[in-house]
Parts: sequence; structure tokens; C-alpha cells
Amino acid sequence: MTKWLRENLWRHVTGVVMCLFALFPLYLVVITSFNESGSLKVTSFLPTDISWANYKLLFNDERIPYLTWMQNSLIISGVVAVTSVVIGAASAFAFSRLKFKGKKFGIQLLLLIQMFPAILALSALYVIMERVYTFAPGLGLGTQAGLILVYLGGAMGVNIWLLKGFVDSIPAELDEAAKIDGATPMQTYWLIFIPLAAPVLAVVALLSFIGTFNEFILARLFLVDVENRTVAVGLQQFIGGQFSENWGPFAAGSIIASIPIVIIFLSLQRYIVSGLTAGSVKG
Amino acid sequence: MLIQLFRGKVALAFKVIVLALVTGVLITLAQSAFAQEQYIISLFLVATIALLNYTYFSKKRVPLKFFVPGIILLAAFVLTPVLYTLVMSTYTYKTGNYISKEQATQRISALALEPDENGTAFDIVVGDYRNEPALLVSDLNAGSYFIATTKERIEIDASVLTIDEYGVATAASDFEALDSGAISGSDAAKLRFKYSDPYFIAVESLNVGVVFRQSLEYLAESDQFKSLITGDLYSDNGDGNYANLNDPSDKLEPGWRDPTWFSNYLRLFQDDRVRDPLVSVFIWTVVFASLTVLTQFAFGLFLALALNKPIRGRRLYRSILVLPYAMPSIMSILIWGGMFNTEFGAINEILGRQIAWFQDPNFARAAVILVNLWLGFPYFYLVSSGSLQAIPTELLEAAAIDGANPRQVFRKVTLPLLLQILSPLLIASFAFNFNNFNLIYLLTGGGPKNQLDGEIAGATDILISYTYQIAFGSNVQDLGLASAISVIIFVIVASISLYGVRKSKVLESFS
Repeated sequence: MTKWLRENLWRHVTGVVMCLFALFPLYLVVITSFNESGSLKVTSFLPTDISWANYKLLFNDERIPYLTWMQNSLIISGVVAVTSVVIGAASAFAFSRLKFKGKKFGIQLLLLIQMFPAILALSALYVIMERVYTFAPGLGLGTQAGLILVYLGGAMGVNIWLLKGFVDSIPAELDEAAKIDGATPMQTYWLIFIPLAAPVLAVVALLSFIGTFNEFILARLFLVDVENRTVAVGLQQFIGGQFSENWGPFAAGSIIASIPIVIIFLSLQRYIVSGLTAGSVKG
Repeated sequence: MLIQLFRGKVALAFKVIVLALVTGVLITLAQSAFAQEQYIISLFLVATIALLNYTYFSKKRVPLKFFVPGIILLAAFVLTPVLYTLVMSTYTYKTGNYISKEQATQRISALALEPDENGTAFDIVVGDYRNEPALLVSDLNAGSYFIATTKERIEIDASVLTIDEYGVATAASDFEALDSGAISGSDAAKLRFKYSDPYFIAVESLNVGVVFRQSLEYLAESDQFKSLITGDLYSDNGDGNYANLNDPSDKLEPGWRDPTWFSNYLRLFQDDRVRDPLVSVFIWTVVFASLTVLTQFAFGLFLALALNKPIRGRRLYRSILVLPYAMPSIMSILIWGGMFNTEFGAINEILGRQIAWFQDPNFARAAVILVNLWLGFPYFYLVSSGSLQAIPTELLEAAAIDGANPRQVFRKVTLPLLLQILSPLLIASFAFNFNNFNLIYLLTGGGPKNQLDGEIAGATDILISYTYQIAFGSNVQDLGLASAISVIIFVIVASISLYGVRKSKVLESFS
């Protein structure tokens, strides 16, 4: 018994303390979301009475287009995730499998590009999209289409880099066999590579989805109309602006918005641990 | 069957249709960009069209077929903005210096209006006289009426006019009044209607015209403005403004964006108001990023060590511990912001104090580090426990046989090995936190700062949030200066990251 205590007690104490630290803010959000008073207070550690008022407010109040925000976020993140993987996979395949002049230079350039945080070029992006707006109001500043294009460009570097790592790990014998059988590179790509890489493509798409969902500053700067906003920007303005200190609906909104991300994330955990995403830190 | 899809006529037809559609859309865009005088964007679009069609109709360029969509996106939304940032960093480019020199010159001329001594104003009706824009003017003091076009002034006798109860003329023959909607759609507000030289009438509102004269004259040969009132000359001061030759601080508004080479960079080192905040922000950025990596790694590693044994409940611990990492970070940061609220926040309530967390620099900094610890320790817990399992047990056993106690084993064997495995991740995390904009912006907004003194940099501002404040936050939006700082941050971050990549030996896999 004492041996058990000596060897394992500190492990459990550490585990429990850190779990409490991890859970505390989350627990607070959950009880706040069920509390009508709307302040982020620990009135009691057990919710006294559960009220759904905050959740109802989100879906019924006309000043809070929560469902629209959520829809915007899901559409923008979804389009960016799928498109960037489709385009990125082709480039990754070429980098990994095809021989061409300037390949080494291309990889080095890509390495440099994927390190460049988009936020550094924020002023330039802003000015460029402002100009695009003058001739194509549907694509420029203030539109979701423009934001998606900017996200796609930003996601390209990281995604090609990640996907290249995955493609390198697929045995080359398979597509060499296809080549001997007379397949063109296009056929090798569509008939051999894509089916083999499908799970990996899905993982990168989901990571990209999470990253886009979490993006704040470009969305804030680009989407001006209330109806156009993403859920992250909407909720932030919700406690910062005219509804200040109204934490109840914010808590409820955060919980609903977080659920899809947490589920995706937990299901991807083992890929993150196995170091496939080495070097990429979630934002 | 499937092969047919990729080789047959169907595939060819599909390719042609898609390419034709894309080309059509791009051509339309290029045309309208050209029409709006956005020549560079237009040129870029034309190059894109050429590249796309060349690649997909040529039989040879196979690798390019795979690359082209990615290359175009990267070129348009990463490379171009990066290059443009470089260009902007060599310009005076800020509020008041936002347009081109040509536009600025036109704007200055248009705005250089001086009312006459009495500030004469007339009741007017805006309309057309014989299909030319004109004003029907009632001079109530003199009791006279006239129609003013841009070329001539026609006196009209009161007897042939329709005059309302206040003595204002409302209609005349050959004169067609415009309704308010049509007026705002016309360019009447920009026109100068004849009065008596050098004075003219400009439309002030729907029914008021004011007598002005031109106060500045543009001298095209010498690229100078001449004041028609004092005779002073204003010339290009090389910094994006026309300044009075007798008094350099007397500048004409607006200015224009002007190439000034390295003056933005020089300001970073020479101008006290820029340099001093920049230095303190830089120091805090490094401290913040280092402390963050250190605390996150220490807590994560300690947890990994504690749970590196199949104790009961380990799975439960693990699934709870990753939750902070799984939550969308934006939501978590905002929630923490609420918890640190002085009056209503949960943290003060637990501590039983009334600490104004975000008003005191040191408390604010502590709060930032604590929140970032919460956000990041699960990541290091996950990667540390993965790496711990990757360390061969033989090594640890050998050390134990040689008589090392557990602490020595950890310090001499486990930790050095772990650091070696994890150092690329530690460096990447440092580089990420160096630019952790969301945390700072959403938690403290960079504050506390003394806004009354016009300070832009707050106590918790890191370089990237400071840059954002310069570019978009304050009254004067200085995109040129912000770009110069961006370039410097990029050089720093790229060096750190390249060093990290060297360490992780990724470059060796280049072939």
C-alpha cells in the first residue's frame, strides 16, 4: 500500500490538478450557458436551475443571426478545406513523384513560403482586395468569395508541404508498376495515387477546416456586414459591442460552435501525436 | 472503363469546356480591371490565362499540369502580397497619403476654394438650361435673378419667372429643374457655375449655392502649386506632400503615396516616437514567446512523466487533458478574457480580491502567459508522451544498472534525448507564438496603454499586434511603416524557422 502511494500518488495528484485546471473554464462556460443572469460568475459550483433561455435567444433573436454566422463559417471552412486539398494534392504528387527542372529550388521556395504567416502581409492583402473590389465587387474586400480566395492562397503552402510528407511515405513501387503497364502520370495520379491517399487527404482537409474555422483577423477585416460574418467574428463582437457583458448567449454560442471542432479534433488526435503534423502548431 | 474517362473524347471535351469557361471568366475580369485602370491586376490575369491555356493544351508540360492551380493561388495571394508589402515599406503610405500623385493634384485643385469676403450664398434651383447643367439663382438682397451655366451668366427679369412666397425663383422658361434624386446622381456638385471672375458659384446643398474663387493654381511645368491669395509657392517635399517653400510644415492636403526608399526603415531606428515603443514591444515579444514555450513545455513534460505509467484512470485523464487544445482557441481566449474581468470575473471571485488584471502591466502580462499556458500545455503533453515512448528502454535500463538513480537517469539520459527529439517542435512553437496575434488581440487588445498620450503600443502588445495597430488601429493608419515592421518580423521568423528546419534535418530529404 505504501509502495503504491509512494509510486503513484503524485501521478494522480498531478493528473487531477491539471484536469481541474483544464476543465475549469470549460465548466464555467457550460454553467453560464444555462444561467439566465448572463454574467460569467461562479454563483454556485452546481447549477441551481437549468434554463434554456440563452440557447433560445440565439435561434430566435433577430439581432443575432447566429445560424447565418454558423452557416457562413461551415461553408467558408468547408470550401477552403476541400478545394485546398484537391489543388494541394496535385502539387504534392508532382513534387514527390515527377522529375523536372528546378524541383529542389521549388521545394525550398515552398518551405520558405509556408513559414510566412498571412497576417504579416495583412496590409498588402487589404490594399489588393480593395483594388479588386473596384472592378469586381463580387470578389473584392467585404465578400466571402474574396475571403475564400485569400484563405486558399494562405493554405496552399502548408497543405502542399504536409501532403508532400504523406505522399513520400506511399511506396513508389506501386506507381512505378503502373508506369511499366503504360499508365500516363495523369492516370497514375487518378487511379493509383488518389485512392491510396484518400484517408490522408481527408485528414489534411479536416486540419485545414479547423484552421480556417479558427481564423479571426482576416475574417474580421474582410467581412463588414453583420450577415456575412463568421461565427468567431460574430461572437467576439457580441461581447465586445452593443451586447457587452452579455455572457449567457455568448457561452451558449461558443458551446454549439465548438462541438463540431472538438469532435473532429478528438478523432484526429492520433495523427497529431504521431508527429505527422510535426512542426505545425494549431492556431 | 475508367481508363476511357481519362483518355477518351469525353475527357477532351470536358477539358475544353472547363478551360473555356475559366478563360471566359478571367478575360471578363481582366477587361474590367483594365477599364478601372488596375493595370497590374489586369496584366496578372492575362498572364494567368496564357499560362492555363498553354499548360493544358500542350502535350509536354506534364509536371506543370499538376502545379498550375497551386502556383496561381500562391502567386496571387501569397507571393504578390509579400512583394507588395516590400514595395509598400518603401513608400509614404498612410492616412492622408493614400492616393496617387495624379489624383492628389486633382483633389487639391478641386478643394482649393475660398469664399468671397462676405461669404455670399444664394438660393438656387439645380437643373438644365437648354440641355446644359445650370443653376437658377435668386439674389434676394439685390432682388435680381439669373441663370448660371458653366460658360455664361444670363440675367433674367423677375416678371418672366415663377417666384414663390419667399421671393425665390422656382421655374423659368427653357430651364428644367432636377429632383433631388437626379441631382445626387449628376455631377452638379463638382461643377463651377459662372458668376463674376475670379468668383464662381458652387453647389453647397440642394438649394444653396456659395460664391467661391480658386485659391490655388497648379503650375504644371514646375510641378508647384501657387497660392492665388498670398502668392506663396508649394512644391513637392519628397515625402508625399506639397509644402509651402517658406514654411515646410504648411502642407496641402491630401498628400499621395510617395516612394521614399528606406525612410520607413530609418524611422524605426531614428525617430524616438517609433523606436522606443518598438524596442520595448520587441523585448516583450521575445520574453512572451520564450516564457510561453518554457511553461507549456515544462507543464506538458511533467504531466507526460506523471502519466507515463499505466495507472488507473489514465485514459480518462488523457481525454480531459486534450480538451483545451481541441476547443477553438478564439472561444477559449474570449472566455478567459471574461474570467479576468475585475468586477464580474470568476478569478477575482475565487481569489477574493479586486485585481484590475488588464489595467496593470504586470498583471496583464501574467494573465497572458497563464492563458497561453492553458491553451498550449496539452500539445506538449501529447508530443512529450509520444516521444517518451520513442526513447529505447535499453538506454534507461543501462543507466540504472550503472547505478544512476531515477533523477539522474532523467537529467542525463531522458531529458537530453527528449530535447533533441522535440527541439524542432519547440522552435516551431516559439515562431508561432512570436506571431500569436489572436491571443493578444482578443485577450488584452495589447493593453494596458495610455491612449490619452497617443500611445499606440500597450504593455502586452507583441510585434504583430503592434503592427496591426499601426496599420489599422489608430487614427493615422500608417501602412508604409507597418509594412517595414512586417518585413523585419518576417526576416526574424524565417531565420528562426529555417534554423529549426535545419535541426530537424528535413532538408536532407531533398533529392
